[in-house]
Amino acid sequence: MLTETATPRTLPLLEVEGVDKSFPGVRALSDMRLELRAGEVLALVGENGAGKSTLMKLLSGIHTPDTGTFTLDGEPLTIAGPKHATELGISIIHQEFNLVPHLTVAQNVFIGREPRRARLLLDERRLVRDARELIGRLHLPLDPNAVVGDLTVANQQMVEIAKALSYDPKVLIMDEPTAALNDAEVATLHELIRRFVRPETGVIYISHRMEEIRRIADRVTVIRDGQYVDTVDVAATSTREIIAMMVGRTLADHAGPQGVRADREVLLEVTGLSTKALLKDVTFDLRAGEILGFAGLMGAGRTETARAIVGADPVDGGVLTLRGSRIRIGHPADAVRHGIGYLSEDRKRYGLLLDKDVKANVTLGALARRFTTAGFVHDRAARAAASEYVGSLRIKTPSVDQTTKFLSGGNQQKVVIAKWLARDCDILIFDEPTRGIDVGAKEEIYQLLNELAEQGKSIIMISSELPEVLRMSHRVVVMSEGRVTRILDAAEASQETIMHYATLRPDENVEDAKELGLDPVETGAAEDEEGKA
Amino acid sequence: MVTTREKSGVAGRPVGAVVKGRLQQLLAFASLIVIFAFFSVASPFFFTYGNFTAILFSTVVIGTLAIGTTFVIITGGIDLSIGTGMALCAVMSGVFIVNLDLPLAVGLVATVLFGGLMGLVNGINIALLKIPPFIATLAMMLVAEGLALVVSGSAPIYFSEEPAYTKISTGNLIPGVDFPNAVIVLIVVAVIAGVLLTKTVLGRYTYSIGSNEEATALSGIDVRKWKIAVYAFAGLFIGLAGIMISARLGSAQPATGMGYELQAIAAVVIGGTSLSGGKGSIVGTLIGALIISTLNNGLQIMSIPQEWQNVILGCVILVAVYTDILRKKEA
Amino acid sequence: MKMQKVGAVVAGAALALSLTACGAEGGGAGGGGGQPYIAIVSKGFQHQFWQAVKQGAEEEASKQGARVTFVGPPTEADVEEQINMLTNDIAKSPDALGFAALDSQAAEPLLQQAKSQDIPVIAFDSGVDSDVPLTTVSTDNKAAAAEAAKHMAELVGGSGKVAMVVHDQTSQSGTQRRDGFLEWMEQNAPDIEVLDPQYGGGDQLESANITKSIVSSNPDLKGIYASNEGSAIGVIKGVQESGKQGLQLVGFDSGKAQVDAIRNGTMAGAVTQDPVNMGRQLVIAAMKAINGEDLPETVDTGFKWYDQTNVDDPEIAAVLYD
Repeated sequence: MLTETATPRTLPLLEVEGVDKSFPGVRALSDMRLELRAGEVLALVGENGAGKSTLMKLLSGIHTPDTGTFTLDGEPLTIAGPKHATELGISIIHQEFNLVPHLTVAQNVFIGREPRRARLLLDERRLVRDARELIGRLHLPLDPNAVVGDLTVANQQMVEIAKALSYDPKVLIMDEPTAALNDAEVATLHELIRRFVRPETGVIYISHRMEEIRRIADRVTVIRDGQYVDTVDVAATSTREIIAMMVGRTLADHAGPQGVRADREVLLEVTGLSTKALLKDVTFDLRAGEILGFAGLMGAGRTETARAIVGADPVDGGVLTLRGSRIRIGHPADAVRHGIGYLSEDRKRYGLLLDKDVKANVTLGALARRFTTAGFVHDRAARAAASEYVGSLRIKTPSVDQTTKFLSGGNQQKVVIAKWLARDCDILIFDEPTRGIDVGAKEEIYQLLNELAEQGKSIIMISSELPEVLRMSHRVVVMSEGRVTRILDAAEASQETIMHYATLRPDENVEDAKELGLDPVETGAAEDEEGKA
Repeated sequence: MVTTREKSGVAGRPVGAVVKGRLQQLLAFASLIVIFAFFSVASPFFFTYGNFTAILFSTVVIGTLAIGTTFVIITGGIDLSIGTGMALCAVMSGVFIVNLDLPLAVGLVATVLFGGLMGLVNGINIALLKIPPFIATLAMMLVAEGLALVVSGSAPIYFSEEPAYTKISTGNLIPGVDFPNAVIVLIVVAVIAGVLLTKTVLGRYTYSIGSNEEATALSGIDVRKWKIAVYAFAGLFIGLAGIMISARLGSAQPATGMGYELQAIAAVVIGGTSLSGGKGSIVGTLIGALIISTLNNGLQIMSIPQEWQNVILGCVILVAVYTDILRKKEA
Repeated sequence: MKMQKVGAVVAGAALALSLTACGAEGGGAGGGGGQPYIAIVSKGFQHQFWQAVKQGAEEEASKQGARVTFVGPPTEADVEEQINMLTNDIAKSPDALGFAALDSQAAEPLLQQAKSQDIPVIAFDSGVDSDVPLTTVSTDNKAAAAEAAKHMAELVGGSGKVAMVVHDQTSQSGTQRRDGFLEWMEQNAPDIEVLDPQYGGGDQLESANITKSIVSSNPDLKGIYASNEGSAIGVIKGVQESGKQGLQLVGFDSGKAQVDAIRNGTMAGAVTQDPVNMGRQLVIAAMKAINGEDLPETVDTGFKWYDQTNVDDPEIAAVLYD
C-alpha cells in the first residue's frame, strides 16, 4: 500500500494552518487546517459551499488568506498568483478546464512558456518534441498535434494533467477530476496518479464519489461550512461515516426505485429518432408517473436523444407520439408547449440565468402564460409563485431576490426544477440531475424526483452514475454509440447488465444488435449469470 | 418597503439589492452632477435656463436612438444601422408628408413604422438567418445610407409647407414656457420604454436573452421571435429619431447620420448597460446621453478648442466603463 | 467599498476636467477681458481649407485686439451638430457671430435669436438664405469656375472632350462651380464638348474611381476639371492609376497634394480661393459690425489662377494653404 512507502508521518509536505478568508458578507473559511503528507493521496471532501474551492483558490494564489499560514516542505509560503504557485511546486487541475480549444495538445501543454528561437520565433518542432516526450513519460494516449477542441472530455482532462505534471510539481491538486469520465477512464486516471505519487510528492484529490476515494486515497480530510471537521484513514472508516461527517448527520439507507408498476399507460412514444451526428433509430416509450433511466458511456447519445426530443438540435428522422397523437417539435418552444421540459447537465450554461434572481429564473418559462396581462408582468403574482416553489422544493435561499449564481449546485438544480413545474410540464428530462451536487443535496433531489413521479409526472433521468440509475429507475434504457441497445426492467437492471449493454458495440450488421435488444429475458438472464460468476 | 415583509426574507425584497442595482445609475448621475458643477463654476454662460434647455434639446436625437438601442444591447446584440437608418427615416418622413402630402399624423405613424420595418429586417437577418448582429446591422447601415440618397435624389427635402411638422420639435407645448417639445417627446418615450423594459414580457425576455440565450431558448421561449421583436421595437425609435432630427432642422438631410450610432452606443455604455448583455436601464442610458451632450455643450461654452473635445469625451467613456468594471468586481 | 467607487468617479471626473484645463490653456482662449469676442461657426474643421480660414481669422483678430473661437462639424453632412454648435456659441453672447451655414433653413430660428439678442451675424463661405446676416464674405465661385474654364479651353486648344468631377450637387459652392464652368464653355468655346458632370462627394477615393471610369470610357478625352481639393486629388490619383498620358487637369482650391501636382506638372493649374483672406475679411467685417459701421452686401474674398509658372510667386504662395 502507498501508506507503507510514505515517509515518516511527522513530516508534512504541505500544511495549511489557521486560515481565515472572508468575502463581503460571507465568511468562506474559518480556522481551516490541512496536512498533506509526502507520498500520499489525500482526499478532500465536503458539501458544495463547504469551502473547497475557496481553499483551492488560496492555494493557487488567486485569493490571499486574511490570516493563517501555508508551509511547503517546512518552509513558510506566500503565494502571489497561479504562476507563482506552479513555480513553487503546486500544480492545480481545476474542474473547469483551462484549455484553448483551437490550439493543439502540445501548444496547450506549453502555453505561456513556448520554446523559442532567437527570442521571438516559436520553435514548433521542439514544442511538439517536448510534448511527445512528456506524453510518453506519462503513458498518455494523446497525439501532441491533435486539436484540443476535437478531443473527448476524458482526453482533454489528460491534457490538463499533462500540463500540470509538466511543471514537475511536488503537490498536485485535482478538483473533481473524474466528473466527466467513465469507469475505464477513471481507472486510467488513477493509474496515472499512482505513478505520480513518490516519496517526495503528494496529491490532494477533491471528489464527491466515495467509491473512487476508497480506491485511490490514503486519508480523507472532511470540511463543512468553511471549517475543518476531521482527517481519517480511509481504510479504517466507512463511507457512511465519512458522509455523516460531511453533512453533519447520518443518512437513511436507501432501497431501490419506488412505485414500480407495469400497468402504467404510455405517455410519450419515440420511434426511429435519428440525427445526422449520432443517433440511429432510437425507439422507446415513456409511461405516466415513471422514472425512465438512461444509461450508457460518454458519447453513447443519451444527451443527444434528450436534445433531439426537445428540439434543441436538428433531427434527421423519427416520430414523436404524445398521448396517442403525433407531435412535431422544431424548437424548444414547441416542446415546452407540449409539456416537455429539459434540465441540462450543464445547468450554468443551459439551465439558468446566473446573473438573475431566483424569481426571474423560476418564472422564466411560465412568464407569458401565467404571470402577465396584455404583456405586463404581475410582479406580485410572480413573486408569490416563486416563494411557493422555494418553500415546496425546499430551496435554500435568503430570498427570491437572491442572484442564482450565489446558490449551491443543489439549490440551483431545484430552481431549474421549479421553472418547469411552474410551466406545468408533465414530462421532465433530467440530464445528470445530481452532477456537481453534494451528497446531502443529492438525497433531496432523489426524494424530489420520487415525489414528482408519484404526482404523475413522467421523468427521463440520464445519469452516468450507475448506483443512481439503479436506485431511481423504474426501467433503464441502455444506449451505446447512438443506438438503444436494451431496455431493462427494474428487476433485471444491475451494474453488470447495464455495463454489458452499454459497452455493446453495434456491429456493421444492425440486425444483430436489434436481435439482442429484442430478446430480453434470455440475454439479460445469461448476462446476470455471467456477472455473478 | 413594509417592514413586516422585510423580515420574512423570502417574500421581501432586501433594500441592499435595490441599492446595489441602482448603484451604477447613481454613479453615472453623480458624474453628471460633477460635470454640471464644474462647468457652472468655469463659465458664467453655462448655468442658465436657456443653456439647460439647449443641452436637453441637443440630447433628443442621440437620446431617442440610445433608448431604442438599449434594448438591443441588453440582448447582447448591437445595432450599427441606427445612424444612417435615422437619415433614411427622415427622408421617408419627407416623402410621406411632403412628396405624398399625407396628413401629418399618418405621415408620422408611417415613418415610425418604417423604422420598425428596418428593425424587423435586422431582426430577421439576425435571428433567422443567424447573421451576427454586427454584420447584419453594418450591412443595413450601408443600405440605409445609400437608400437615403436614392430616395431623396441626394437633395434635402424641406418641410417649409408644413409648419406643424417643425413644431413637433421646436414648438412649445406648454404655453408661455420656453421648453422645446422635442424634450417632452424624449421624456415621454423614455418613460414608455422604461415601463416596457421593466414591466413587460418583452423587457423580461430582453434581459433573459442577454443573460443566457441558450437557457432562455431551452426554457421554451421562442428566442428567434423575441429577438426579431426587440430589433423591430428598437427600429421604431430609429423612425422617431428620424422625425425628431428632420423636424428640428426643418428638412430631411439624406447625407447625415453616420456616426450617430457610435454616439448612441457610447451613451448606452456610459449609462451602465453591458455590451455583453443581460443588464442595463433606460434611466442609465438617458444619463449617459446627457453626459455626452453636457460635455459637448460645456466644453464649447468654455471655448475649449474643438480638437480637445473628443479627447475628453473618449476619456469619460473609459472612466465610465472602468467604474462599471470596478463595481462588478465587488458585486 | 463604497469609498473606492466614489473615489473612482471623482478620479475620473478629475481626469476629464484636468484635460479640460489643458485644453483651455492650449487654446489661449482663457481670459477675455475687455476684448471684443467673435464666435465663428464654420462648415468644417479638419479640412485644410477651414484651417486656413481659421488661421486668417486668428491673425486678423490678434491684429485688431479681438478674440475669436472657431468650431465646425466633422463633416458637411452633420447639420444637426452644426446647429448644436451654433446654439452653444449664441449662449456665450459673443459680440459678433461668423457663420457658414450647412443648411440655411435649419439655422434660421437661431439666427433670429441672435438678432433678438443684438448679436451681429456675418455669413461667410456660402451665402446664408436669411435676412439676418449683415453681409456675406465669400468667394465668387461662378467667376472662379469661369476662370478655370477659360484656362482649360486654352490648354486643350479650343476643341475636344472635357470631363468634370464635381464635389457636390446640392451645395451652393458645388452648383456654382459646376455652372460657372459649364456656362463659360457654352458661351465661349462651342467646339469643346463637356461631358455630364460626375459627383464624387469631395471624397478623394470616390473621385479617383469616377475619374478612372471616365478615362477608360472616353479614350479621346483631353481634359478634366475638378471642383474642389478632394475632387482634384482624386482626379490626379485616378489619372495616375489609369496610366493615361497627356490629359490636361484643372483643379480648384489648394492643399499640399494639389500644389505638388502642379509643381511637377501632373496638373496644369488650378483656381484657388483665398481662405486666409476669407478669415481675415470675416473678422474685419465683424469688427465693423461691432463698431456700428456700414457694411456692403457682399465681400468678395477673391480668387487666383496658379500654375507651374507662378506657384512660387509670393503673391500666390500667400493664398495657398497646405
